[in-house]
Amino acid sequence: MTAIHLQNLVKRFGPFTALKTMDLTIENGEFMALLGPSGCGKSTTMNMIAGMESPSEGRIMFGDRDMAGVPMGRRGVGFVFQNYAIFTHMTVRQNLAYGLRATRRPADEIARRTKAMADLLQLTDLLDRPSAGLSVNILQRVAIGRSAIMEPAIFLLDEPLSNVDAAFRAVMRTELKQLQRTFKQTMVYVTHDQLEAMTMADRIAVMDHGVLQQVGTPLEIYNNPANLFVARFIGSPGMNLLQGTPVETARGLAIDLGPLGLTPTLLPEQAAAVRPGKGPVLYGFRPEQATIVGDAQGMAMPVTFVERIGARTILHLGNGPQTAKTVFENEAGFEQGKILHFAPHPAAVRLFDAATGTALKGH
Amino acid sequence: MAEIAFQNVTKSYGATVAVNDASFTVADNEFFCFFGPPLSGKSTILRLILGLEKPDSGEILIDGKRVNDTTPAARNIAMVFQNLALFPHMTAAENVRFPLVERHEPADKIATRLQDVAEKLHIAHILHKMPGQLSGGERQRVAIARALVRDPAAYLMDDPISALDARLREETRVELKRIQREAGRTLIYVTHDQEEAMSVADRMAILERGILRQIGRPVEIYDHPATTYVAQLLGSPGVNILSARRMGATYDLADGALQLTAPDGLAGVTELGLRPEDLRVTPWQGGTGRPATVTEVEPLGGYTVVTLAAGPTPLRALMRGQPDIRVGAEVALTCDPAQVIYFGDKGQALSRIGGERL
Repeated sequence: MTAIHLQNLVKRFGPFTALKTMDLTIENGEFMALLGPSGCGKSTTMNMIAGMESPSEGRIMFGDRDMAGVPMGRRGVGFVFQNYAIFTHMTVRQNLAYGLRATRRPADEIARRTKAMADLLQLTDLLDRPSAGLSVNILQRVAIGRSAIMEPAIFLLDEPLSNVDAAFRAVMRTELKQLQRTFKQTMVYVTHDQLEAMTMADRIAVMDHGVLQQVGTPLEIYNNPANLFVARFIGSPGMNLLQGTPVETARGLAIDLGPLGLTPTLLPEQAAAVRPGKGPVLYGFRPEQATIVGDAQGMAMPVTFVERIGARTILHLGNGPQTAKTVFENEAGFEQGKILHFAPHPAAVRLFDAATGTALKGH
Repeated sequence: MAEIAFQNVTKSYGATVAVNDASFTVADNEFFCFFGPPLSGKSTILRLILGLEKPDSGEILIDGKRVNDTTPAARNIAMVFQNLALFPHMTAAENVRFPLVERHEPADKIATRLQDVAEKLHIAHILHKMPGQLSGGERQRVAIARALVRDPAAYLMDDPISALDARLREETRVELKRIQREAGRTLIYVTHDQEEAMSVADRMAILERGILRQIGRPVEIYDHPATTYVAQLLGSPGVNILSARRMGATYDLADGALQLTAPDGLAGVTELGLRPEDLRVTPWQGGTGRPATVTEVEPLGGYTVVTLAAGPTPLRALMRGQPDIRVGAEVALTCDPAQVIYFGDKGQALSRIGGERL
């Protein structure tokens, strides 16, 4: 039963501040993803939770216990790194059982738990194979199993899937989620891959430049990003953001996008957030949330590149300073060089202050 | 200018056949991708093209000329290394010039070539900068300029962007495609990321343990895979493979959760392939057959991946948007028989066959 509380957490390395005043509560049994690009402070945060680094300021609490001065080995955390650390002179079974042996569990319990973990991670057929010579994929699976078998109350994973191949990554996403459902640990998962965070996490903490940008469920963050960074980082491709100025039209408030023309009229709650003459805004919409309209309507942008990836076609639009992407289900009729007339679904439009980057919300 | 062809090329290392009787032709100016899991022979093919390995048998042809015994240098094929490594202590110009300086080319020729390549790759304005001052995309252009400066017949890339962050990979692959279109030249590309392969390749070749299984445009291979192996390599989530139980005029699939009218004139179907985007999920309202149970809902934002329990293996459906669907819900499954891929007992596709069969 362990919630993790990060309170006013700061980490400095000499003159460099890796983490700026982080406040975050990870609930007991929650799967929390720390998501951001390299250098955003996510691994630093993780290392402090694990006890590998001490905070420059602030506190880390596991439940009501302050972790200051508690060494890594006494924190009861399991840890899996990007680079699996497997004893290559041991078999898969010996690796899995390592922690149980070290803590002198009875032989029958070791045998039972090792078998159960091997079943869960599909390692049963490999139990007596030497670890040396197994593929990177399998080794990472063994590393996860070796840590999970100790049933730690807190399980920390730092980019565990970034070295495995893409196909295996998809399989492991499902398995990690099942693992967490089985053992109900509090799980903290560091990743730069928004897809991993979206598909596995109960909540996501998005970070950039040492600052926590937004915390929420995957869909909260996808649907209502707090600022431009989150809007761009979440989604594949990220949110389209076109710069313009609010103008009054006969049918209501719209955004003048300059050479791209006028956007469709804003809905009342969006219009309430912007005023004509109040400075530029960014008009945001998801690439999946646009429809094709007649030639005289909507926004018009040239198709500069057609990227068909299996079920989806990503159209790259615009050859001027403003570009956008749209996603459709098939490639029929989408040709490079043609002008695409499209309009975002009105309710899907999100507006951001161009100066501060924060989301504009009506009141 | 280079067309690169293999004719029945085999290469073994001891008892392991790395490349098994491979024949293909990469056209001039084509962006050609080799795709397969680790150890499927992708990197060996690159080494054979470069001349770092000799085939045990078969012919390697560049522009119709046999090059089996030609040295790597004389083949005039450039390799762009993984992570697009540049010399950090040299300016972009010095980096690009390096291969020519190393070969003691005359100064005026070096200057002309540098200018040509810089124009083609739009890097003239950053030539004075050090690699550390360049963005990822700019570094990429400089690295490719360095490969192109000695005017190679073709250039090869072995998983060049796998080390980048997910977001940067998505942008970089489009950039690579643009560069290749603008600069021309045959580009042979190896990746283990199916999405990247489908995005960049004009045509791709699918490898299975050294054997070429299918060559074609990515969309052809995706829609008309030659085998279950090929079908399973492309797409995320992957294709659903169901064993075909025929009951009169219909297939009874997934333990009765999916009924499908059998197409006419198709015999010997043992398995069916169904892409997750072609599997339709609706609330269960009774009727014939039985419901499937939702066991996992993964929101991607624009799409939602739903995992379903029905029959021996879990099924995946890709639904548009953010449907209100919960774990534990009972749902009905349907699909359009025209979207189904039919496979025979050897895993071979039976009707929807496209691309160049091998």
